[in-house]
Amino acid sequence: MSLSKKMLRDIKINKTQFISIFLMAFLGIFAFCGVCSEYYGLEQTSNDFYADNNLADGWIYNTTITDDALDKINNFSTDSEKQLVVKSVGNFSNDPDITLHFIEDNKISKFNVAEGEDINISDDSGVWLDKRFADAQNLTVGDNISFSFNGITIEKEIKGIGYSPEYVYEASPTSILPDFKDMGFAYLSHNAFPSNIQYNVLLVKFNQSADDFEDSLEKSVDCLSFTRQSEHVSVSQFNEEMSQHKMIGNVFPIVFILVTFLTLLTTMTRIIAHQRTQIGVLKAVGYRNRSIIMHYMSYGFWPVLGGAILGLVLGPAIIPNLFYPTMSYRYSLPAWHPGFDMSFIIVAAVMVISSLFVSYLAARNISKENPANTMRPKAPNISSSGFLESSKLWSKVGFNIRWNYRDAKRNKFRALMAIVGVMGCVALLVSAFGMNDSMEHLKTWEYDDISHFESKLIVESGASLSDIDSIREDVNGSTIMEQAIEIKVQGNEKVGSLLVLNDTNLISHTDKNGNPINLSDTDISLSAKIADSLNVGVGDTIEWHIVGSDEWVKCEITNIHGEPLSQGIILSKDMLEESNLTFSPTSIITSKNVTEDYDSIKSISTLTEMKNNWDEMTGSVMMMVSILIFFAVLLAIVVLYNLGILS
Amino acid sequence: MSTLIEFKDVVKEYKSGDNVLRAMDNVSFTIDEGEFVVILGPSGAGKSTLLNLLGGLDSATNGQIIVDGEHVENFDDNELTEYRANNVGFIFQFYNLIPNLTAVENVELMKDIVDVDIDGCAVLKSVGLENHANQFPAQLSGGEQQRVSIARAVAKQPTMLLCDEPTGALDSKTGVLILNLLQEMSNDKNTTVIIVTHNAILAEAADKVIRIKNGQIEDISINVNPKKVEDLDW
Repeated sequence: MSLSKKMLRDIKINKTQFISIFLMAFLGIFAFCGVCSEYYGLEQTSNDFYADNNLADGWIYNTTITDDALDKINNFSTDSEKQLVVKSVGNFSNDPDITLHFIEDNKISKFNVAEGEDINISDDSGVWLDKRFADAQNLTVGDNISFSFNGITIEKEIKGIGYSPEYVYEASPTSILPDFKDMGFAYLSHNAFPSNIQYNVLLVKFNQSADDFEDSLEKSVDCLSFTRQSEHVSVSQFNEEMSQHKMIGNVFPIVFILVTFLTLLTTMTRIIAHQRTQIGVLKAVGYRNRSIIMHYMSYGFWPVLGGAILGLVLGPAIIPNLFYPTMSYRYSLPAWHPGFDMSFIIVAAVMVISSLFVSYLAARNISKENPANTMRPKAPNISSSGFLESSKLWSKVGFNIRWNYRDAKRNKFRALMAIVGVMGCVALLVSAFGMNDSMEHLKTWEYDDISHFESKLIVESGASLSDIDSIREDVNGSTIMEQAIEIKVQGNEKVGSLLVLNDTNLISHTDKNGNPINLSDTDISLSAKIADSLNVGVGDTIEWHIVGSDEWVKCEITNIHGEPLSQGIILSKDMLEESNLTFSPTSIITSKNVTEDYDSIKSISTLTEMKNNWDEMTGSVMMMVSILIFFAVLLAIVVLYNLGILS
Repeated sequence: MSTLIEFKDVVKEYKSGDNVLRAMDNVSFTIDEGEFVVILGPSGAGKSTLLNLLGGLDSATNGQIIVDGEHVENFDDNELTEYRANNVGFIFQFYNLIPNLTAVENVELMKDIVDVDIDGCAVLKSVGLENHANQFPAQLSGGEQQRVSIARAVAKQPTMLLCDEPTGALDSKTGVLILNLLQEMSNDKNTTVIIVTHNAILAEAADKVIRIKNGQIEDISINVNPKKVEDLDW
């Protein structure tokens, strides 16, 4: 009982040291659990969402899914569902792009209703609408909405509003950030289709690997293309985001934990060493070694236990919620929950147990000595005068430096811990600032070094060439064509983008290090990232086709370029036409700041907007960087304080 | 009076690298139960080493230390702890109280060690500190701290009190008070009190005086009529 009072009063008297131990344990566990909880949350929430709504394992696209093809596919798939997916324009002032899914069932990639009633397959009057779009356009259940596609306009009543596992990420045609006012999706019954329905997408579930399924598919059916789940734009984008967070989450918190462990070890050893005489007295009056060791073990135990529990509770409660608002702006999930993993409790427990162990070692070393020795101050370690002390330089060194040098030499372990602790914190700071610099560098690379236009006018899909040409002349700009393509080399496929330039100097080219390169009109250049992943280089032949077209183009790579954002092929209009493809402009770029509206222009993006979108997009990573910098500085202060105050 | 302590040819050596320092060289003596013994000697004579061996704080290199019929030199660590807890009350030159415990808590600390019902306040009253029970050591004078130290030592009712320069850090007036208290413990409660000191004046108050020099017994003398501490010419 008296020893417990002693411990509490010792803690009170040495509160700064114990608070710093508490803080170290808290910071280590808080950062670890918080950051891990963030990406575990993303993983668990998205996985649950995919599982609950039975996300398709693959999507088979064709102009028409025939009964014959369906029969064949059903032989090697476990389930399938036909859909007609069409692009439509919503009847709103901003002509939003709405992807309509006419479904004959709702068992694969199910629409997840947030408001209103569940999907009724026989209901031909209703539509189940994208919640993000509905919110952006202030639409509610019971409102009517009309869509135009292929020259037909249909009007339906909104029966439900919700989410789809296929639209966690929705790519925007005009910007790297989705603008939910301009795009969305809707699910309708196949009965709602005004004419004879011909399905163009088959959603499939299968037990085998995606490779095996694709092999079976190629052998049995002719289809335009097959997209496996991992390559689906929504899934892959979200996975990529998660893996970025996971990468940061895997490395940084571990450094935090290691630095915490090491400094805890030194701090506890020193605190107990400071109590040496009292340990001697306790032994002299007849306390058992076990009681003394238990008493000193409790010194580290309580602050570390308190810090670890607080970190365990507050980390997952605070850190994920700093990220989720930014994330939820870009991704659509019905709920955002911090994740939990047993590793949180294990790491916290290891932290607490190791504090006990460290205290045990420190107290045991002292209590092992006989009481007579313990009551005397510990004799300083003897250190030999090494090379430095016998050199001429030594006599010129000041007294303070000699003192510090000899102290460090006598207390090698503590000196090492100080170096490792500070090194860990500095490494965290350098990495965090480095990440910050990388993000800034990528932004400068994309929007200053490569793009020199001020405005990008996105052309309406049905716009005539003459209209486009007249706008181009009006804004004194250049037309470009951008399309999604698939690139194939010896069976390996990659999805990328095609950029066709029509005599413009508003887009420059760089190599993978950002150095300027020139691409001539006869060049076909592949981005370095795709070239590396397909293991091809200049002189190699690749095959590619525009997604949605079955015309494959075979060509030789004549250059390799670097780009931070879009990966794929860059070529001139002439080279495109040489490959028997038509140049269909998708955008007009100009150095003018265009503000006026044109009929054939869907939207206009300025460079400033693009840069702002980039900042938004990298917001969650930058948030992570800021958090890491904050905690690294705090940890460094605590470590230096502890190691300094105890010398 | 029966013999309580017997030192037989006790040797204590300290090793430091290749050097061996013999701090105690074939020391033999006996101390009877209830005796007030003064061990005298200059600095470095081996007085504290003798006290450490007797109190079970250190182990002898050779020889026999018999206390109440038990061979202390054969005790293992646990037995030594038990021996210190039940038989020995220490009083140190610099008091060695636990600074974060009050006077009464320092005394009652002994409750954790021995199976004796200890009333901390009553013990403090016996050393004249009943009004300082809730004060921390830093709030007490040197003499008061030493009295708390004595209270702590006697609270567990040990067989012997071992005092290492108990007045070394005190002024002479306070020192007399402390020594008087210790003599009373011996006379009134039949506690064996052994005081290590370099102050030869105290010899006149002792029942037995053991003079030690260079780790060896120089002389052992017995006072047939020991003086009261307060009557000594300080």
